[in-house]
Amino acid sequence: MAEQAEQRDPRSEQRVPQWAMAIDLDRCTGCEACVVACASENNVPTAGEEEAARGRAKHWIRVDRYYEGEFPDIRVKFRPVLCQQCDSAPCEPVCPVYATYQNAEGLNVQVYNRCIGTRYCAANCPYTVRFFNWFTPEWAEPLGLQLNPDVSVRPGGVAEKCTFCAQRIKRAKLDAAEEERELADGDVQPACVSSCPAEAMVFGDMGDGDSKVSKAIASGRSGQLLADLGTRPRVFYLEKAD
Amino acid sequence: MDRRNFVKLVGTASGGAVTGACGKKSEQIIPLLVSEEEIEPGVEQWHPSICGDCGAGCGTTARVMAAEREIEVDGERFRQQVAAIKKLEGNPADPVSGGRLCARGHAALQSLYNPDRLRGPMKRVGERGEGRFEPISWERALEEVSESLARSAASDPGKILYLTRPQASSRSATVARFLESLGAPPARSVGTGDFAAEIEASRRAFGWAGIPVYEIQDSTLVLSIGADFLGGWVSPVLYSRRYGHMRQGRSELRGRLIHAESRFSLTAWNANRWLPVWPGQELALALGIGHVLVSEHASPSVAEASEEVLATFESVDLLQVSEASGISIEAMRETAAALAQATAPVVVAGASMVRENSADALTAACALNVLLGRVGEPGGVMPPAASGTGLEDARPAAQGWEARLAEAEIVFVDGVNPAYNAPSAGTALTEAGTVVSFSPFVDDTAAYADLILPDHDALEKGRALVPDVSPVPAVSAVESFVSPLYDTRSTEDVLVAVAEAIGKPIEAMDPASVLGGLHQQMGSAATEQAAFVREQLRQGGWRGERRGSQGAGQTALGSFREAGKRGGLQFQAYASVQFGEGAGANRPWLQEMPDPGSSAMWGTAVEVDPGTAAVLGVTNGSMVRVESASGSLEAPVYVHPAAIPGVVSMALGQGHANYGRYASGRGANPMAVVGDSREAATGAIVHGPVEVTLAMSESRGRLIQLSRQDRDEAPHRV
Repeated sequence: MAEQAEQRDPRSEQRVPQWAMAIDLDRCTGCEACVVACASENNVPTAGEEEAARGRAKHWIRVDRYYEGEFPDIRVKFRPVLCQQCDSAPCEPVCPVYATYQNAEGLNVQVYNRCIGTRYCAANCPYTVRFFNWFTPEWAEPLGLQLNPDVSVRPGGVAEKCTFCAQRIKRAKLDAAEEERELADGDVQPACVSSCPAEAMVFGDMGDGDSKVSKAIASGRSGQLLADLGTRPRVFYLEKAD
Repeated sequence: MDRRNFVKLVGTASGGAVTGACGKKSEQIIPLLVSEEEIEPGVEQWHPSICGDCGAGCGTTARVMAAEREIEVDGERFRQQVAAIKKLEGNPADPVSGGRLCARGHAALQSLYNPDRLRGPMKRVGERGEGRFEPISWERALEEVSESLARSAASDPGKILYLTRPQASSRSATVARFLESLGAPPARSVGTGDFAAEIEASRRAFGWAGIPVYEIQDSTLVLSIGADFLGGWVSPVLYSRRYGHMRQGRSELRGRLIHAESRFSLTAWNANRWLPVWPGQELALALGIGHVLVSEHASPSVAEASEEVLATFESVDLLQVSEASGISIEAMRETAAALAQATAPVVVAGASMVRENSADALTAACALNVLLGRVGEPGGVMPPAASGTGLEDARPAAQGWEARLAEAEIVFVDGVNPAYNAPSAGTALTEAGTVVSFSPFVDDTAAYADLILPDHDALEKGRALVPDVSPVPAVSAVESFVSPLYDTRSTEDVLVAVAEAIGKPIEAMDPASVLGGLHQQMGSAATEQAAFVREQLRQGGWRGERRGSQGAGQTALGSFREAGKRGGLQFQAYASVQFGEGAGANRPWLQEMPDPGSSAMWGTAVEVDPGTAAVLGVTNGSMVRVESASGSLEAPVYVHPAAIPGVVSMALGQGHANYGRYASGRGANPMAVVGDSREAATGAIVHGPVEVTLAMSESRGRLIQLSRQDRDEAPHRV
């Protein structure tokens, strides 16, 4: 499990939250509500049939499923996979223009207007959660009205990925500031988390030992995907209980 | 038109207009090299709304923000500022959604903004079914409908047919008033998504009116027979929430799930044990498990069961039901023993795939709860929570609508698509008298209409409805809060206008009048009616108190109609997580959402077991021809590792003749092979099984998968 050194904002002296997510695979049903919730929140463009057939469909979050055994003793193993927001992210050092970096809160940030489209990041991501815009997306009128104005529409030639809903983190901070209080546990709910019907996903500050996400990580069922690669992901999976 | 005035904000109906988009939290020009986290969020409002995608009726909240769109008026283009819905979420105050939402619920936004929505009323110019229309004015369209209706009402009101969704709502109440004023028969459901077999079984086994509520969140062992409650059955968000709680919501207690279904559905994915019951043999399985409970697990609740219930199970030949269902006697014994030993078991009885004898199968499955003493008990099965509005008393039945369709002088089609879900309806629609559709799209059925009078999108309307299943008495009720995008009209208003024109005036039932009636009925003196209505609308509806435990009423199981086991390859259709019974297919998000089982996008596959595939010499993506006595289809194969040998399944969703650019002409409709058969007691549309032959096909087609890999060759190291 990743150990997080406490970080403080140099100006306010306030502790900087360390964002993390826990996904309880014993609750997750594989329904993919998160998949559509994410597309809706983050202006993830639909590739269409032809581009999807070329492997260019973008799903910032997907549900991987693998069958095990043979009928009738067959099971399926599945898990939602999104950007793991690694502390040692393989995507970051290969970017020649520093378009992706880890910020103080632990997010692997993608600066779209710095990206020059080498796709090295996508090639180096072991989780295959980075996507390249082969074309500038278009929406048939009036589908453009669905777009979230808080999230950039990424142009052609640019890589993109899950941001942990950075815009929602920003809004929660502004709301808390307006109300002259500190961010509380649960104030930030990425679209996938707030949508999840089985309440399998928890998001919060892993630097706060009392947060729900910290407790989930400490539950004893927690692990990280491909942890032996040393990527130190911030997405933790709580394994099924049987 | 005054150009300056035209560029205005289309105001919200409640809570004021969305203004000040350039205010404090505003859209700013994003400087170069600024990361996403530094973008300032815009001004937003959240309004309560109701998901109209299925009968679950999840309470939602809609995020409304200022937006701009281009419109054309008299050949000139204008930029119009509008209050636009940007996102849908569950309403935390709603007892059904609890603040959560499923994939289809999110994609309701793409019904609202679908580019193929009709911009106004249309009149048919081509042949019926061809789908060629030209615009017509509302005035002229209403005149034409009124003339046809007046003629039918005067000659034989029995030949007025209104086909609609089986929902208890302000809309259905208005429709009932409309038909009553004409002396016409009540509206009919077309028998899809109406859970008629569940309702019939609930009446027989428990003496209840409506769909039972299963308290799986408090149970220790759930046996589901035929109910894919995590996939699409009845209320997937409610039951997914409850499932999550059952697994990990209680300290030291993790509930178990045994699921019996003839397909490896989402619920089967998540089960501790899957019982792959042969399609159509769910009754045999329920009888077998009941027989073991009665004969081998003497318990106080078994002793208390009525003679009729005991006799139903005692006479079962275990060997025979085991052979018919494909579930071994040993597996039945183990399941029965687990149920008998569990402290709080419950049997969920559902027909995710409707069979010819589903009402009987579900009655037997419901009766297992009687044997286990789980009726009205915590963690057991509870009666439906009556809303107190009476809206649910007049759920439309399905029986006999096809026969009446062919003879009808005027047919209204409202929110249903019989030409897709019941293939023979197309022929009947060709022969029917005047056909009026209220569809916002030219769908398979609207293509047969003489006139299409498009309704507003569900998100543009004020509505009140009673959810199909709710833990507490509840009425969801909302006002409209965005202006309609196009020249559409609320169907309720159209019915009022038409009734007025022919001298049989009615009043529409609106959300405020539903809530007002409820207030009156509750005799609540504590609050003034107007204040009560206002407050409930602000919260998205009214929710009552959780009722106490309640036992069964009269149990009268009746005799069962056993289905003989059929040989050969069996084919069945199912409602998918993405498309439901087919309505989701025109939403690009859902087309590109990988199918949970096959990972297919932009198409649905014929799911074949590995053994059958090997004999046929087909692999993933091979095209096959599936043929039954009713019809045939051609589609790509998915070799499903968990398909029951000899059982071929296919999701509903594709194969629309008409349904806009994303759905029309894409893939195949499995109902073409299933044909038109009906559940014996309720008239619900049957999803199979039918015997089929499979053969390789030379036709062109492809299977597009997000993940082509079914097996994990390098197991995840967590």
